[in-house]
Amino acid sequence: MNRLKKEDLNRIKAECRGKKKDWIKVGYSTCGVAAGAQEVFATLCREVKEHHLDIEVKKCGCAGMCYAEPLVEVNVEGMPRVFYGKVTPETADKIIEKHVRGKMLMDDHIYDLKVHEAGAEAGLS
Amino acid sequence: MIKRIFIRDTNSSSADKARDFCNVLRNQLREKQMDEKVQLIRAADMGVYNQGIVMRILPDDLLYGQVEEKDIPRIVSETICGGKRLNDLMCHHAARQCRIVLRNCGVVDPESIEDYIAQDGYQALAKVLEQNDPEKVLAELKTSGLRGRGGAGYPTWLKWNLARNVKESQKYVICNGDEGDPGAYMDRSVLEGDPYSVIEGLTIAGFVTGASKGYFYIRAEYPLAIERIQKAIDQAYACGLLGENILGSTFRFDAEVRLGAGAFVCGEETALIASIEGKRGYPRPRPPYPSTQGLWGKPTVINNVETLANISPIILKSGKWFAGIGTETSKGTKVFAVTGKVKNSGLVEVPMGTSIREIVFDIGGGAGSGKKVKAVQTGGPSGGVIPEDFFNTPVGYENLQKIGSIMGSGGMIVMDESDCMVDIAKFYLRFCVDESCGKCAPCRIGGTQLLNLLEKISDGKGEEAHLAALRRISFAMQKASLCGLGQTAPNPVLSTLNYFEDEYRTHVLEKRCPARKCGRLFRYSIIQEKCKRCGLCVRNCPSDAISGNREKGYVIDEAKCSRCGLCLETCKPNAILRG
Ligand SMILES: Cc1cc2nc3c(=O)[nH]c(=O)nc-3n(C[C@H](O)[C@H](O)[C@H](O)COP(=O)(O)O)c2cc1C
Ligand code: SF4
Ligand code: FES
Repeated sequence: MNRLKKEDLNRIKAECRGKKKDWIKVGYSTCGVAAGAQEVFATLCREVKEHHLDIEVKKCGCAGMCYAEPLVEVNVEGMPRVFYGKVTPETADKIIEKHVRGKMLMDDHIYDLKVHEAGAEAGLS
Repeated sequence: MIKRIFIRDTNSSSADKARDFCNVLRNQLREKQMDEKVQLIRAADMGVYNQGIVMRILPDDLLYGQVEEKDIPRIVSETICGGKRLNDLMCHHAARQCRIVLRNCGVVDPESIEDYIAQDGYQALAKVLEQNDPEKVLAELKTSGLRGRGGAGYPTWLKWNLARNVKESQKYVICNGDEGDPGAYMDRSVLEGDPYSVIEGLTIAGFVTGASKGYFYIRAEYPLAIERIQKAIDQAYACGLLGENILGSTFRFDAEVRLGAGAFVCGEETALIASIEGKRGYPRPRPPYPSTQGLWGKPTVINNVETLANISPIILKSGKWFAGIGTETSKGTKVFAVTGKVKNSGLVEVPMGTSIREIVFDIGGGAGSGKKVKAVQTGGPSGGVIPEDFFNTPVGYENLQKIGSIMGSGGMIVMDESDCMVDIAKFYLRFCVDESCGKCAPCRIGGTQLLNLLEKISDGKGEEAHLAALRRISFAMQKASLCGLGQTAPNPVLSTLNYFEDEYRTHVLEKRCPARKCGRLFRYSIIQEKCKRCGLCVRNCPSDAISGNREKGYVIDEAKCSRCGLCLETCKPNAILRG
């Protein structure tokens, strides 16, 4: 990447925010990895590829709910953003099948949901 | 628009009623031909505890608590069909987390600088460089009231100002990521989850104090944190956010990672500096403070990870905004790593002034075991225990000190009735004895003496005079030790002794451990009448302490038994007695 100037920061910010795309985030800090995030991440990537889904699978840090790791946050257009907890590779399969492809939320695995946009809580915008 | 209803039985004690409740609700929805328009989801957690059946209804975002089956008809007709809110059922998330430090943790990809920039990353640095007025940053920090999160709580602006005012061409800034307290991992999570915010904070510290070089001192036991910070530094160099002419300005700042030497004392600032200089990690007496004479004799600012992660938000949102959060003397938020006998262990960021009760019960969900919560330990080996009676105390630097503990870096270990206070004191003290660098006598000798006494007490060889001796030695260590390690090492002993003297006395006078933790003060035996002669305990005992056979029955040899308790856990008819 080129050396950035202030204008570039604003441009990158606008570009990233402009991307309206579905995504899945996997908590990939020490707590997540210790609980099995690696396998879950691999499963999600594999399924997304296999079904040619237009959804991005990303790694992120620890959201704080260490007791529920591996934690997978799913954002699909038109559905609430939810956190699935204690996700196994099998649950990861089902997340793709039911939530991403079937547009239905799954029973017994949701630990939290976000109704507001990120950063709104701390008032950072 | 389809409605989604999340349902959970938040009572932990009784059988889960959520499934039945969902069925009843589903049937009633079907009667009204609403079942196509509503999805019911059984949630695994709702962030609300002991409120019976809890429902969260989207998109209206209503939270109903203590819902009974008899409420279902009016919920269906009034809320689901009519869109009306039923005020008598409304329930609130009692304590709200407020994320400033953890704003990006779990949000951004820590290996992507674009992700960070998309969340306003580097806007604060850009603003600071554009204004080109370090005094203005200091004024903002002063207004914010930000104090160090590494333990001592020294005002950050003052520390920066001290270093800034020294006339010297070479200065340094250091990020302290040594985090050695047992049970604490807030800094690790921030380094792993949002490395750029710490780098940005350190860069701003460099600009304000006039330092052109920064170090990340991270403990070697945090390989992922080291990897992520290193990657982030490399990326920042590639983007012109480190090195020469940052963001097109004339400011130059370099940063590099140094690995912690594997000792707790290296988190102490003067020992840390010695360690970076390649010397043995020994503390030295202060003054001179590092702000005037630090790394290689040059003015040096050392800040904790969490302190640095607070800098950018303050600059972007103003010191006044930050000062509006928290209490009179403790501003902003604090991240706690809540662990131990708590239902939801994890990281919690709350405004200063939130009570311990809210953290442990409302956010942490209370004890995981169903037993009664007895106390929390805060501040790690330098802190103390806080009994349940004091849980209404709002967290803050002075408040926790007043009740005999400290805020420390943010470890909070929840203890229930099965935890023995003598054992807890012994655990923390042993940690300090192991970690004492040995340079000064009060810490080296005093710590060992204290530990010996505690061991006697937990072995049933304690005498009443020992309790007075514990207090005397503790006092001497606090007054005469060279560094913070020795000065604070007796704190866990003193605070347990102050609040739970009864428990100490039971150990000493009755030779009994009420929590059944101190191995020499109880024993395991087999209740022959209950024993079904299955032999499971024999096979499970790692110490070969159980002998006998199916005909004659089994006995436990007290001398061989290591008190691990495995037999108690494995015995199906509960024939093992602990007493
Ligand atoms: C024995 C001992 C261990 C310490 N360990 C740490 C640590 O792991 N991390 C930390 O930030 N501060 C630690 N400190 C506090 C540091 O000496 C120093 O006060 C702190 O890093 C200053 O940063 P702050 O002003 O941002 O809080 C320790 C202090 C002592 C006495
Ligand atoms: S407590 Fe442990 S060592 Fe003792 S008898 Fe039982 S299994 Fe064996
Ligand atoms: S061997 Fe005695 S009950 Fe199992």
